[in-house]
Order: sequence, then structure tokens, then C-alpha cells
Amino acid sequence: MDPRLDLLYRLADDQLILGHRNSEWNGLGPILEEDIAFSSMAQDKLGHSLQLYGLLHALGEAEPDTVAFTRNAPQFHCCQLVELPIGEYDFSLTRHFLFDHAELLRFEALATSSYEPLAQVARKLRGELKYHALHANTWMKRLGTATDEAIERMQAALDFTLPYALGIFEKTDAEAEIISSGLFMGEDVLQSRWLENITKVLSQTALTLPDLTIATPVMGGRHGQHTEHLQPLLDEMAEVFRLDPTADW
Amino acid sequence: MIQSLDPRMNRLGLAETAPAAAKPALDQFETYEVFHQKKEGAPFLYVGPVHAPEADLAFLFAKEQYSRRFACTGMWVVPTAAIAVTEYVGDTESAYDTLPLLPRTATPAPTDESGAEEAAYAAGEEDYDIFHLKKRGKAHQHVGKVRAATPAGALQVAKAVFGEQRPVVNVWAVRSAEVLHSDDDDRDIWATTTEKKYRDAISYKVQDRIEKFKAENPQA
Repeated sequence: MDPRLDLLYRLADDQLILGHRNSEWNGLGPILEEDIAFSSMAQDKLGHSLQLYGLLHALGEAEPDTVAFTRNAPQFHCCQLVELPIGEYDFSLTRHFLFDHAELLRFEALATSSYEPLAQVARKLRGELKYHALHANTWMKRLGTATDEAIERMQAALDFTLPYALGIFEKTDAEAEIISSGLFMGEDVLQSRWLENITKVLSQTALTLPDLTIATPVMGGRHGQHTEHLQPLLDEMAEVFRLDPTADW
Repeated sequence: MIQSLDPRMNRLGLAETAPAAAKPALDQFETYEVFHQKKEGAPFLYVGPVHAPEADLAFLFAKEQYSRRFACTGMWVVPTAAIAVTEYVGDTESAYDTLPLLPRTATPAPTDESGAEEAAYAAGEEDYDIFHLKKRGKAHQHVGKVRAATPAGALQVAKAVFGEQRPVVNVWAVRSAEVLHSDDDDRDIWATTTEKKYRDAISYKVQDRIEKFKAENPQA
């Protein structure tokens, strides 16, 4: 497989699925302003996935709508972290924090990718990703230093979410070629930079990063193995599209 | 469980009989006022309020509330309670006229003579940002800074410095230390919004379809 396709499918599917998941908070957010901010970021992620599916289309893959709405779970390459249900806000914020730090670093690196169309998209998304990380950091610091209940809940969410977050960095067979061709710096470098950044933020809170040496990363997503939660999400997301796939919007 | 047409509501598994919890009389966060700069070098303009538990969160919210659809190059956030406000006057008058004159001995700021500046700060004076409204229905605009010991004093100094301008229907003064400024290093967070046409309602071109529907369904 073209290593560009391998990489792009993983990036695009992460954005689409998490964007859709986070949009489920629309109208249910804890306060109006946060509802708007979280929904707006979810919309950003859908926009990012569109850009990336557009790159795939330029490389000969199907139209973005077809790729987004007609595949089934085993054909998706997102990590399992992004497909988990939204749960309560402590989990959704924690997932947002762990994912968006990886995403910001990933696209910063991709801004110098040897694949110029991807580098251009990465540079364009930079400002938005920076805001997403700023948003996540502000909430982690706020809740991670607030009441006992807040700290307890955020810690529990962090303990639960971290093994899934490690699945972000699951490699595929294309990894060596992705690195050698200068497409991307690779998942190992990304993970170590990510760890450094999240540690920096968490050190300003009462939260403790779980011991990574004993955490079991939740892998499989990059190879089409998903939780029971992905297929229902896809069915719901594509419900309207599948009524009439040829409709002109 | 509550059954809704919205599957997200059903997933929340809310009990049918859940009684609405009695809310305390005042359960709102405090408000912050937001100012934005439309382009480099332009004065900051008032855009509206946000509720938030602290300034950092107010900034996060302000960014999404007030720069989602219209690009800007910077944003300021100020606690509402920190703003000293004059009376509102008629559209042809000046709110500065409602303020007392400065005592004769006082020296209006701003001045750049560093000696005078140091003396002022040593005497407990601070910088205040002044915003004024030229016409009802428009937005308060940042006109500059003054130095004073109190918010009331700042308004008086503002009268001496900006009082010639009219009409001015209302004036705000806020201690500059209370203003949270967007970070210059984060300029790029404003840079992307122009490409979000898909977010605007205007992208949904439905008027011709509405007309067609109306023509076909005169009763509707």
C-alpha cells in the first residue's frame, strides 16, 4: 500500500470519528459557552477530516462523502480512543486533552512532510489545533486543581483513558517507509514528545499520570479492529446519507 | 427512562421521574466583557459578554463565541465588575460632560516623560484603559490609556484627554491590569477562520427551494 494512503486514512478517520463523537455534546454541554466551544472544535475536526479525505481523493480514492459514509467498522483505521462513547464530561475532556496534544504535535511535524499537499494542509490547520490544545489545557488545569470531587473524577478519567490514548501511536507495516520517505517523523518520536507535553501540563495539577510501564496500550484500531461502539456510530452518522446517497445537497 | 427522538438523550439514560433539582438563586458564573481587533492596528471594539468561572476560561469561550464567524487579529477579556461606567447621555451630547473636572493640580496622562511617570506610579497610580461609545447601537471602542489612582479618577483624566470628542454617549474605564490580552505568540489561532465558509448559514442556498415550496403549497 502507498504509505501516503496508509498515513492519511489513519489521520482522516481519527478526525472524522472524534469530530462526530464530540458533536454529540451539542446542546448538552455543561454551560452554553462551553457547549459552543466544544461543538465548534468538533466542527473543526470534521473540517480537518474533509481536507484529508480530499487529499485521499486526489490520490485516486473515492469521493470524501463515499469514503466517510459507506465504509463499515473493519474498514476504518481510527484508534479505538476516538470511537468510545462520550460518557460524562470528565471523560470527554480527558480524551480531548490526550488526543489533541498528540494531534497538535503530529501536524506540527507534518508541516514539513515530504508530501507537499499534506504539509500545506498541516500548516493551514495549525492555528485551530493550537486553540484545541489551549482549550484542553485550561480545563485540565482548572478541574485538576479544583474540588476533591473534580480531582477524583479527572484522575479516574485519566486512569481509564490513558491505555486507549497509547493506541494513538499504534504502528502499521508502512511505518518504516513513512519515516524513510520523509512523510512523517514516526509514531515513536511523536509519542515521546506527547508524553513530555502532557506531563508538563499535568504537573501543574493535582493529577498524576498513570505509570506507563504497566499500562497496556489498547491497540488494533489502526488495523481495523474496533470496539462494539464504532459500528453504531457509523450507522447513525450515515443514516441520512444512506437514505439517498445520490441526493444533491 | 426518558424516551426521546434524539438518540443522544436516550443514551444518557435519564430517569423518567428525576425531579428537577431546586437551583440556588444565583448559580451563574460571573460575566466577562470581550473586545476584539478586526485587523492589525485597528482599535479594539466591544463585541459582547461571556459567562466563565475565571479569566482564562472566559478567553477560551470568547474566542469561540466571537471569532467563529468573523476573523480578528486579537482579543481582550475584562471582568464586567472591573469596569467603571459613566451615565448614558443623548446621541448628540457627551458623557464626558457628566464627569467632574480634574482638580487643577492633577496632570492628565498619558505623558512619556519618564520622571513624571515614575512619580505617578510611586504615588499609587496605575494605567487604565478607556473605551467610549460614539453612538447608541455601535460598539464601545478603545481610545487609549490614562494613569490614575482610582476608576473614578481615570474617568476624570479621560475627560481631560478625550473629552473634546463628541458625541460620546458612554465611557468605560478599566484598570489595565484587569485586561487579559491574547498572546502575540498565539496570533495563528486567529488566522484560520476565514476558510470556514461552510459554517455560515449563508452557505445553505435554499431560498429558491423555499419559494418553490411556497408556490406549490399556497396553504403552508
